[in-house]
This record gives sequence, C-alpha cells and structure tokens, in this order.
Amino acid sequence: MIEYLEPLINGILLGGLYGVVGIGLSMVFGIMRQVNLAHGDLMILSSYFSLLFLQVLGLHPLVTLILVAPLMFFIGYLIQLFLFNRVMQRGMEPFLMISFGLSIIIQNALLLVFTPDARSLETTLVIKSVDAFGLFNIPLIYLVNFAAGALVLGALQQFMKRTYMGWAINAAADNETAAKLMGINPKKVYAYAMGIAAVTAAISGVLVGMTFTFYPHSGTQYLIIAFGVVIIGGLGSLPGTFLGGLVLGVSQLFGGRILGPGFQLLSGYIILLIILTVRPQGILGGR
Amino acid sequence: MPVLELKEVDAYYGELQALFKVNLEVHRGRIVSVLGANGAGKSTLLKSICGLLESRSGSIFFDGKRIDGLSPHLIVDLGLSLVPEGRKIFSSLTVRENLMIGSYTPKARKDSLETLKNILEFFPSLRARISQKGTDLSGGEQQMLAIGRALMSRPRFIIFDEISLGLSPLVVKELYKAVKKINQEGMSVVLVEQDVKRSLKVADFAYILQEGKVTLKGNPRYLTEETVRKAYFGI
Amino acid sequence: MLANRTRLILIVVLLAFLVTLPLWTSRYVVNVGLLVCLYVTLASMWNLLAGYSGMVSLGQQMFIGLGGYTLAVSSVYFGVPIYLSVLFGGFMSVILAVLISMSVFRMKGVYFAIGTWVIAEALGICFSNWGYVKYGMGMFIKPAYKLSMSGVYYAGMILCISSVALVFFLLRSNLGLALMAIRDDDKASETLGVNIFRCKFICFLLSAFVTGLAAGVLYLNAIFIQPFEAFGIGWTVNLLFIVIIGGIGTIEGPILGAIIFVLLQQFLSEFVGYNLIILGGVTIGVIFFAPKGIVGTLQEKTGWELFPVRRQ
Repeated sequence: MIEYLEPLINGILLGGLYGVVGIGLSMVFGIMRQVNLAHGDLMILSSYFSLLFLQVLGLHPLVTLILVAPLMFFIGYLIQLFLFNRVMQRGMEPFLMISFGLSIIIQNALLLVFTPDARSLETTLVIKSVDAFGLFNIPLIYLVNFAAGALVLGALQQFMKRTYMGWAINAAADNETAAKLMGINPKKVYAYAMGIAAVTAAISGVLVGMTFTFYPHSGTQYLIIAFGVVIIGGLGSLPGTFLGGLVLGVSQLFGGRILGPGFQLLSGYIILLIILTVRPQGILGGR
Repeated sequence: MPVLELKEVDAYYGELQALFKVNLEVHRGRIVSVLGANGAGKSTLLKSICGLLESRSGSIFFDGKRIDGLSPHLIVDLGLSLVPEGRKIFSSLTVRENLMIGSYTPKARKDSLETLKNILEFFPSLRARISQKGTDLSGGEQQMLAIGRALMSRPRFIIFDEISLGLSPLVVKELYKAVKKINQEGMSVVLVEQDVKRSLKVADFAYILQEGKVTLKGNPRYLTEETVRKAYFGI
Repeated sequence: MLANRTRLILIVVLLAFLVTLPLWTSRYVVNVGLLVCLYVTLASMWNLLAGYSGMVSLGQQMFIGLGGYTLAVSSVYFGVPIYLSVLFGGFMSVILAVLISMSVFRMKGVYFAIGTWVIAEALGICFSNWGYVKYGMGMFIKPAYKLSMSGVYYAGMILCISSVALVFFLLRSNLGLALMAIRDDDKASETLGVNIFRCKFICFLLSAFVTGLAAGVLYLNAIFIQPFEAFGIGWTVNLLFIVIIGGIGTIEGPILGAIIFVLLQQFLSEFVGYNLIILGGVTIGVIFFAPKGIVGTLQEKTGWELFPVRRQ
C-alpha cells in the first residue's frame, strides 16, 4: 500500500504542473473554438528564453519569469493579431494549419540556435527534496510546481470573473456580435486572450524546464500532455483542466510504478484513450 | 440637425440587395418607430446603422459625424447603443457581469458603479437576481437586462430591436413604460417593432419599410390605419 | 472531347515518364522518384480520409510503423519472401485498423485527430520497449540488402499508380458519391439513407492497407527501422505539408504536393535547419494566399481537373 503512496502524492503534485500546461490550450479552444498546435512549442520557447536570461544575466529561473512572461504575452498577442485574426472566420482548418506551420518554425529555429543538446534550467530546487512522513522523498520542485499550478489557475479564474477584460473575453466567446455592440473589439480581445495563453505557456515552460530536461522538439510531447489534460478534464472548464492534470499525473506515475519507467507516458495515453472513447466531453465537460 | 441621418443608403447581403436608397432622420429627444413585416429590411437597417453590415452606397451621420464604414465598437463609443433582437444575453456572465460589460467603453467605465446603481433602481427585479446567470432569467427580465446593459454604456441614442417579441402583453406594457421614461430623460429612441399599434402610440414619428424601401413616413397622429396597412403589406 | 483527349495524353506521358525512369537516369534520381511515388501514395490515402471522408487523422504513422515492422519481422525472423512480407504489412495494418475502429469511430473531429495520434504514440512506446524487435535500437532488414534500386522503385511506382487509380475509381463510384455527400453535410446525408459508418469504415480500412504496403516498400529502401522514427509524428507532419501545399480534397493535390515536397527536401537539404523553417513559412503563406492549395486554387479558377471526379 505504502509504495503506492509515492506515485499518488507525486502524481498529484505533478498534475498541478500539467494543469498549467493545459490551460493555455483550453483557453484558446474555449474562447476562440480553435486549436493551437504550437502551444507546446510556445512553452519550450519560454524554457529557452529563460535559459538565455539565466546564462546571460545569472538570474534564478523563477526570476527570469519577470522577463519571460511579458515577452511571451507580447509574442502571443502579436501572433493572434497579425496571423490568426486574419483566418478566424474561416473555420477550424486554416487556424490549425497556421499553428502547425508556426510549430515547425519555432522547433527548427530553436534547433538552429540552441543545437539539439539536452538542456535544463539548473537550480537547487531540483536536487532538494522533502521528506514525506519519513516514507519517501518529494522533490521540492514538485511542490513548487503544484503551488504554481494552483496559483495560476486561481488567478486566471479571478481574472475572468472580475475584470473588464475577463468579461469581455467571455462575452466575445459567447456571442461575438453582441460583444461588438458593447464596444468590444473582438480582434483585440482575442489577441489579449492569446497573450494570456502565452503567459501560461511561459510559466509552465519555465517550470517544466526546471523539472525535466528539454530539447527543441519537446514541444510536441507537451502538446500531447496539454491535449490529454484538456480532454480528460473537459474543455472550457478551468477546474476541469486542473482535475485533468491531476488525473494524468497520477496515471502516469502509477503506470510507471506498476509497469516500469518506460511505460509512464503510455499509462497516461491509455487513460486518455479511454476517456476519448467513453466520455469525450471530459470529466467536468463544459461549453 | 437631426441626431441620426441616413442618406440614400443601399445595403447588400453578398449580391442580394436588401435596402434601396433609404432616407431616414431621427431628431434629438424624439421616439421614431420603424415598422415593417418580416423581411422588410428592418434588421438590415439596424445592422447598417450599427456597423455590423457595410452599406454599399449612401451615408449615415450621427450628430453630424459620418459613421458608415466604422466598426461597431467605435460607434458604441460615440454614444449609440443597440438593444439587439433576441436579447443576446451573455450566457457565461451573471446579471451583474452582463450589466457591467455594458460599460466596457472607456467613457462609460468611469462612473460605472454609479450607473449600475441607477439602472438597478430603474429595474428593481434585476436587483433580486443580480448574481444569477444572465440566461436563467425569464424572457421579460432578460429584456430588461438587455435594456439595462445598453444603458450602461451611457448612450445618447438607443435603438430597441423588437423588444416585444415573445413576451406577454403585461410585460410588454412594463417595457414600453420604461422606454417612455428613458426617452423623457432626453434619450433619442428608435423603436423597431412588429407590434404596430403599441409602437405608434408612443412614437413621435414613424417609418414603414417594405422590401427594403421606405413606403410611408409621418407623424402617427396623421396616419390612418388604412394607409399604414397599405404601406406595411403593399396591398 | 478535346478536354478528355488532353487529359488522356497527359496521363499517358506521365506514365511513360514514370515507367522508363530507371532506364535513363541515375540511381539517385530513381531514389527520388521512389520517394515521390511513396509520398503520393501516403498522401493520397491521407487525403482519402481527411479530404473526402472528413476524418482528419494525425496517426497514419501507426500503419507505417506496423507495416514496416511486419516487413522486418516476417522477412528476418520467418524468412518470408520479401515482397510477400510487404503484403503482410498491409494485412497487419488492416487488422490494426479493425481493432481500433471500435474506439476511434466514436471520436469526432479534433478528438479523432488526437485519438489517432495518441494510439500511434502508444504503439511507438510499446515497440521501443519490446525485446523481440530489439527495443529502441531498431532492426536491420537484411533480406532487403540484395534488392536492386530499380526493383524497389517499380514496386513503389506500381503502388503509387494503383493507389491514385483506386482513389479515382472509388470517388466515381456510388461510394464516392456518398463520401462527397457526407463531406458536405454529415447529417443531411444520413437522412438520405447513406450509411455513414460503413462508408467511413471502408475508407479507413483501405487507407490502412495501402499505407501499410507503402511502409513496406519504404523500409525495403531504407533497410533499417526504428520505433520512434517509424511511429513518429514526423510522417504526419510531412503529409500535412504535402496536402496543404498541394490541396486537400483533390486527387491531383497530393501528387503535386508530393513532388514539390520531395524536390524541396532535396534542394534544401543543404540548408539543414533552415529547410524546415522555410517549409513552415511556405505553409503559412499558402494558407493565407491559396488556402485550397495550389491545385485547389487552380481548380477554383479554371475548373479544370486532370482526374475529373465531379459529376456534371
């Protein structure tokens, strides 16, 4: 029994991070009904930005967020404004394809600039661990991830419920025409939403960079995780995304414990496939 | 100078022409009725005024400023507000949030809480449901919410698009009382309606549309039922 | 009619060109020709699913991996004759398709895309953890060493021509009519008695079969197979390039797209690193300016098709 406590606890903590990974994808789909295939790559781009600031300015990875987050907001904002906004009314395929092209560009640009070597954002947080009931170790970074995850999702929830921009984003998602009649410019609002999604990508990118090693092509694997989280938890639901993250995290670590470390990802995939087959709207399926 | 003026406005949906050289004027502080059967061009007219549909030719002036071709959110910013047909309440927002989003424009945001207070006094039944989801309200309450939301942008000019649709006569009576009150406080009003009798009772001036053209206009006091019917149906 | 005569001449010229290729060009060019043929096959099958049946699959690589490994296992471990092994690859792919259809056919739209992708990834993980196929180290397909380039090329060429012909005649059949109705309006065609499930199922199986075969020929040429490459999303990425640039939902699109893609790949192979960035940029450009792909846009402007499928 006790040996299952470790993957359970650590899975939950990891799940918090996964929640943040998925929230950007969920937002874009919930608000704009579009799928951004470059989401994972925006995350890894943030990891590399953080690496840059870390190396050049000697900052702690978490501190680099002060620079990386606004930078990514800007990038997300501009991408939506100049690329995606032009094809919003053409259905789902054009957006998908453009995000696909963007993904290829980002991955290969990173490959060119940073080489295919494995990287990570070195910090003592990764090495330190906490003793849990004297039974097993919890890497400190996992606790940080979970706390960050809960914080980000909570902050986002509040933002959407209490600010003008938050209401505007919801309104535009509900009914674009009526939103225009409120004086809302949907193009600007979507750009803002994409910017926010990029900021969540930045946060998860930095956290991921601290927790695991990353490569230029790592974006793809995190895109799958993001999809997993969003599908399991349910589209368009913030608490659902968090829950989805927890379920995925726990499944992965449990599977890894039972079947072996090579099957960690596989366990997550199996749960995802089950949900897709049996309850595609997710556990807390919303809009 | 009229507060709203349409000159020779043509509007198209793709290749299909929906408005033919429409001329229309609304003077400050007046209630103007726009009537017509389904498909007569009423909603096309409103869409053109609000910037949701680009008119192919002709011009639209709001307080002397040309607004045809402007994006809808810029027109709202100038003080023109629309209560849309079918209410179009935002389903993911509460009553309060629906009202607050009405004050999105920078001008309206300044005293939005004050405005909110006033509107809740104006429509007390909304206050009771302030934290409920906007779309959980009854039809009549949703209409009041839509009107309140439009008022939150502190407009000088409001267009009411078919507010009586699907509502009981009692509720409609209340709504029209509200419309009159709003007008009494200086607001210029355009009432688009299918309920001819009721809207002619409150209007200072009326236009009747048929197949995209203005077939009759005048002061309701001098319009007989027969002339109205002819202009409405074309019989 | 003049138009039909032109078409026939064009097709004959094309075929002659393909058939005689090994006779008058270098090994390198034949290799490129083989790649083009294989990509045309793969893209045509992907297009059959996505462009005509409305099933956007991001997991076709599951059949590529399975087809390739079946080839490897049967020829290396069981001594099955090499071209028969290729055929087995096709059959195994159909079996896989049948097995997963229970699950994936309940998934719609983007869910179907993700589901197929995840299945492919899962298979990749399984194979890389499987000792029988030498884990992630991969397998050498020894029996393929002694094959001639021309031999493999002709296999690929036959496959390519057959698959294009298959799609062409399929679309002109009743099944094809049903497919185009489904693509245009799912619900409406259901009320007209079209059995959506059966139509999509048949297409799914067909594309799995042909993809499995193409994989076999592919690995006959490559001689070495590894799980992450074989089951990797890279295949879908390439196919997406091809159909976006060429044009979804046309028969000629995958053909033109494959030619452009393979040629670009060869040209840009000097600029390693930049080549894919350029391809990404081209993709975005195509979406903006020619969203139906080159062939699609041309068809729109001129109404001309090399392989006419529309009923007049």
